[in-house]
Amino acid sequence: MKYDVLVIGGGIAGIEASLTLGDAGFEVLLVEKDPSIGGHMIQLSKVFPTTDCAGCITTPKMAAAASHPKVHLMTYSEVKEVQKTGKEFRVKVLKKPRYVEEDLCIGCGRCEEVCPVLVPREFDYGIVGRKAVYIPFEMAVPKKAVLDLEHCMMCGRCERACPKDAINFLQEPEEVEITVKAIIVATGYNLFPPERKKEYSYTGNLTLIHTNLNPNIIHAMQMERLLAPSRPYHALLRPGDGKVPERVAWVLCTGSRDKSLGNPLCSRVCCMYSVKQALLYTSAIPFGEAAIYYMDIRAFGKGFEEFYTMVRDLGVYFIRGKVARIESRNGNPVVIVEDTETGEIREDEYDMVVLSVGLLSNPELSEILGIDTNSYGFYVPPDENANPVATKVDGIFVAGTATCPKDIPDTVAEAAAAAAQCIAYLKEVGT
Amino acid sequence: MAYRALDQAGLLHVHYTPNTVIIRIPCASMLRPDLILHAFQSGFDAVFVASSGPDCPFLGEECVRKTAKRIEKAYELLDEHGIDKNRLLLTGVCSTCVEAIVGGLERLEETLSGE
Amino acid sequence: MKERNKIGVYVCHCGGNISDYVDVKKVVEAVKDLPNVAVARDFVFMCSEAGQNLIKEDIKNLGLDGVVVASCSPHLHEKTFRNAAKEAGLNPYLVEHVCIREHSSWVHSDNPEAATQKAIWIVKAAIAKVSLARDLESIRLDMKPEAIVVGGGVAGMRCAIDLGRAGITVHLIEKSPFLGGRAAQIGKMYPSGISGIELVKKLVEEVKNNPNIKVYTNAEIVSAEGALGEFKVKVKINPRYVKGNVSDDTISQCPVEVPDEFNYGLTKRKAIYKRDFTYPDTPVIDMNACTKCGKCNPDFNQKPKTVEVTGSIVILATGFKPYEPKEGEFGYKVYDNVITLPVFDRLISISNGKLEYNGKEIRDIAFIYCVGSRNEEHEYCSRYCCVATINAALQALEKFGDLRVYHVYRDIRTYGKYELYYEQAGRDGMLFFKYDPENPPVVERSGNKLIVKVKDLLTYGEEIEIPVDMVVLSVGMEPEMSDVFTMLRVPFSRDGFLQEVHPKLRPVETAIGGVLVAGTCQGPKDTVEATASASAAAAKADTYLVKGYAELEPFIAEINPEKCDGCGECVEECPAGAISIENGKAVLKEALCKGCGACGAVCPTEAINLRGYYYDQLRKSIEAAGGD
Repeated sequence: MKYDVLVIGGGIAGIEASLTLGDAGFEVLLVEKDPSIGGHMIQLSKVFPTTDCAGCITTPKMAAAASHPKVHLMTYSEVKEVQKTGKEFRVKVLKKPRYVEEDLCIGCGRCEEVCPVLVPREFDYGIVGRKAVYIPFEMAVPKKAVLDLEHCMMCGRCERACPKDAINFLQEPEEVEITVKAIIVATGYNLFPPERKKEYSYTGNLTLIHTNLNPNIIHAMQMERLLAPSRPYHALLRPGDGKVPERVAWVLCTGSRDKSLGNPLCSRVCCMYSVKQALLYTSAIPFGEAAIYYMDIRAFGKGFEEFYTMVRDLGVYFIRGKVARIESRNGNPVVIVEDTETGEIREDEYDMVVLSVGLLSNPELSEILGIDTNSYGFYVPPDENANPVATKVDGIFVAGTATCPKDIPDTVAEAAAAAAQCIAYLKEVGT
Repeated sequence: MAYRALDQAGLLHVHYTPNTVIIRIPCASMLRPDLILHAFQSGFDAVFVASSGPDCPFLGEECVRKTAKRIEKAYELLDEHGIDKNRLLLTGVCSTCVEAIVGGLERLEETLSGE
Repeated sequence: MKERNKIGVYVCHCGGNISDYVDVKKVVEAVKDLPNVAVARDFVFMCSEAGQNLIKEDIKNLGLDGVVVASCSPHLHEKTFRNAAKEAGLNPYLVEHVCIREHSSWVHSDNPEAATQKAIWIVKAAIAKVSLARDLESIRLDMKPEAIVVGGGVAGMRCAIDLGRAGITVHLIEKSPFLGGRAAQIGKMYPSGISGIELVKKLVEEVKNNPNIKVYTNAEIVSAEGALGEFKVKVKINPRYVKGNVSDDTISQCPVEVPDEFNYGLTKRKAIYKRDFTYPDTPVIDMNACTKCGKCNPDFNQKPKTVEVTGSIVILATGFKPYEPKEGEFGYKVYDNVITLPVFDRLISISNGKLEYNGKEIRDIAFIYCVGSRNEEHEYCSRYCCVATINAALQALEKFGDLRVYHVYRDIRTYGKYELYYEQAGRDGMLFFKYDPENPPVVERSGNKLIVKVKDLLTYGEEIEIPVDMVVLSVGMEPEMSDVFTMLRVPFSRDGFLQEVHPKLRPVETAIGGVLVAGTCQGPKDTVEATASASAAAAKADTYLVKGYAELEPFIAEINPEKCDGCGECVEECPAGAISIENGKAVLKEALCKGCGACGAVCPTEAINLRGYYYDQLRKSIEAAGGD
């Protein structure tokens, strides 16, 4: 099969790039490794500094990508091989078996209802469970079930319940060969695994919050889910015992600006998402007390400083200091920190602590694509000031957090920039 | 532009009087004066014409003059029907003029409560 | 006309944004039995695929003849719902999208009951409007592959190159005599380490070699008008007053020396001058300085030339200007050795061997941050200055060694990988002091030193006095104003920069169709971010110009010849000259109509309507909303 452009990664960057290219009249194949497009952004609650809900921005773009006549989706698929021959790239894409026939499934969810297996739900970072056969989330695109064979006990109930006979245990991985003229890499980031910061007592498996040393220490993406309009339990409760958290702290720079963990970089979004979460928390629980432990508040983008000032004026506490460790007292997390503006050593007890984890690189495809990364695994555009989306390989462009942590406005701008470079390149090589 | 200011008011979560209905038109210069009278006759106590003022994307500064003409005509109609002219307010509202919206509505509220 | 009576009404929860304050079920209840309504539903996210499918299914299964969606602002999702209707076979202009989030739930969160009532009124008005809606067809507008880019800095050049390479004719207009803008003045850029001049050179080469790009320098915009697909910009090109090839030798013979603005007056230039790194190669004579001695063989008879350029799209890349501190602000203009960061940047670039200013060697420098940012005057953070300041300090240290550097800051915002610069600064022994904006640092003189007095939060509020030779003010960005903004009526944000439609959904578009923004005119950015946003603007332009057409909304005037009595009021009223009287009736030239509707308001017989906003629709809306 032939397309003009392959876009790798179905997060907001990949979707934006695909839509722009499609609108300009090019045939695009968008490959996403997860069962649905949407990326990290669809998991967010609301986004700074406008406090629009993330879904309000992402879902229509997802729907547009699905219905665009020029944009073709391949979900639950991975790029395995890229060969450049002349002006073309020959690409092998592995379509992972869903064990559900995509053409048949109507997303009704009957299979989910009858499945007896319960495992942590990735979409909510394990705060709640899902079944072994499941629709990834309510707004998934495509809204199709996927069967997780690892946890399936082959009882066959879903097979019998499916009104379309879409369950197929015999599906095999399928390798698809495609030819494209250009590639946009929008493979995003990996979340810093907070258990790596031992002092903060988050020892849980990322998807298994219930095994945490202290389940009331959660990470920021879990907090996003708790604050999201489509939140689990439809209430803001702390995971340990279901109590309404009346005092919540955010610990910034968890896994960022921290050489002891091998990541001296700043993750660029944590300050602002924490400020935003504190705002959302205080509006959800009006008598709640919110405190943010920070080193510098980096409110640098358009409208950010104004947003930060507004939240600060609303009474959220800002305490300057790098948290040394987090202990537990009566099931409550206790933050131990030196306030660097007073020199005082504080021990502050909270109902819940949110670790504002950083963004790490996702260099998975660097060898396959033959493009360079820096020592932290982020792709390096060789001519970053003049052209921040070009790579050393002609015809391969990179956008979004694949090159460095960044916020959504910057990501969206870069995605469109990559599309512009791609269009210029395609016009020059001839389409 | 004025519609965007109302959007902006929403983004900033400012409060204004809720007994309002927003009718969207592209440009205040399209407003037939009889429509304003019609609003009073349909049960509205006051009419707030939030025009784009000189920021009008269609007419620019010309919009102010054209819209003022409409309002003058509307005043005449209100007079004829014995409706207090102070219940009709025209303000130029730029895309970020949240204060103009809130202030205008406050003035109308005052007018209404003063009667 | 016959009323539509199979209208579907959809009320969005917006995942709590609306439903937390507006009782959406109550809204549905209030309208579901209205005579024109076939079905009324609420849903958690109307804009999601599932929400859109709900509408599509109802259109197909219930044969809906109109749709009302009550959710966020139509500026966000009106297109989304229109497209959904279209896909299901319903004319997209039978969809009315009304706002109960920005206009109700968010502004009346203090009074849920009233917010709900208001939402009901708004929805009722929308139903009434749809009940009289007409089928409309969008207008297809062919797009000539031609664009106008205003501003020849890195953003403007980046954008022009991307468009030129895609086969689009670009008119690149720069007001100064040379391309390059402010980036050229930066010594060493982060993160790639190249100099601003090298960056500009690289882009200028591409601009020069692209036959699709036409460059106008020394060019003032006299007028700008038009709309998507048909912008016209008049450019006055000021003469350079030079003749033929002018050698460097000739230039050096010019007897006049004036401060060189490129180096902020740190060096001098002649009245005739050029910039080697950029375009054009032709020098220019600065007539304010020239004594007309004639040594450079000038041609003083040259006259300004006015040209008109056209383009389907206008991209504004007009850039920023550094904040100019007020006299006395941290000792600025009171003490000689208080300078701003851009001046310091030039100083290190042009100094060799040792760092000298006003004939004095500089050994200790204090940088004061957030000058002109994050205060009452400019609430915003200027974004680039933290990294730029540390980068400049590192560069000074590298070049001149043996400097003591002090940073007096509020928050160090070296975001992303720029954190490594901050770390390097610490390793190199630079000292950091954090000040509270309530107690800003004070600059005084003592003997031949400047003293920076700061209440340092890092030592718990200790009063520290730092004696230095030079104070550098890390100044923020302000938008560079241009007459073209008002000519095209581009709206501003509260911070004074140009306003994008939405920072995430439509970041390079403005409220004016066909006018895009690139680079720092939209907000502070570094060069990486500026070039990315410039390419993003090019991408948006590509979606019109590479494809070759745009679809426009059909909201223009419509004349009913049966009602028209040919009085001609509308002809007078129309700002675009789109109406004429032919055979005693008003006739509209559709291509010229801007869609303001002014003609309709003055028509004595109500023969003119604005499509999509027919007066009978508005009347019925008003009645429906005012009814109770």
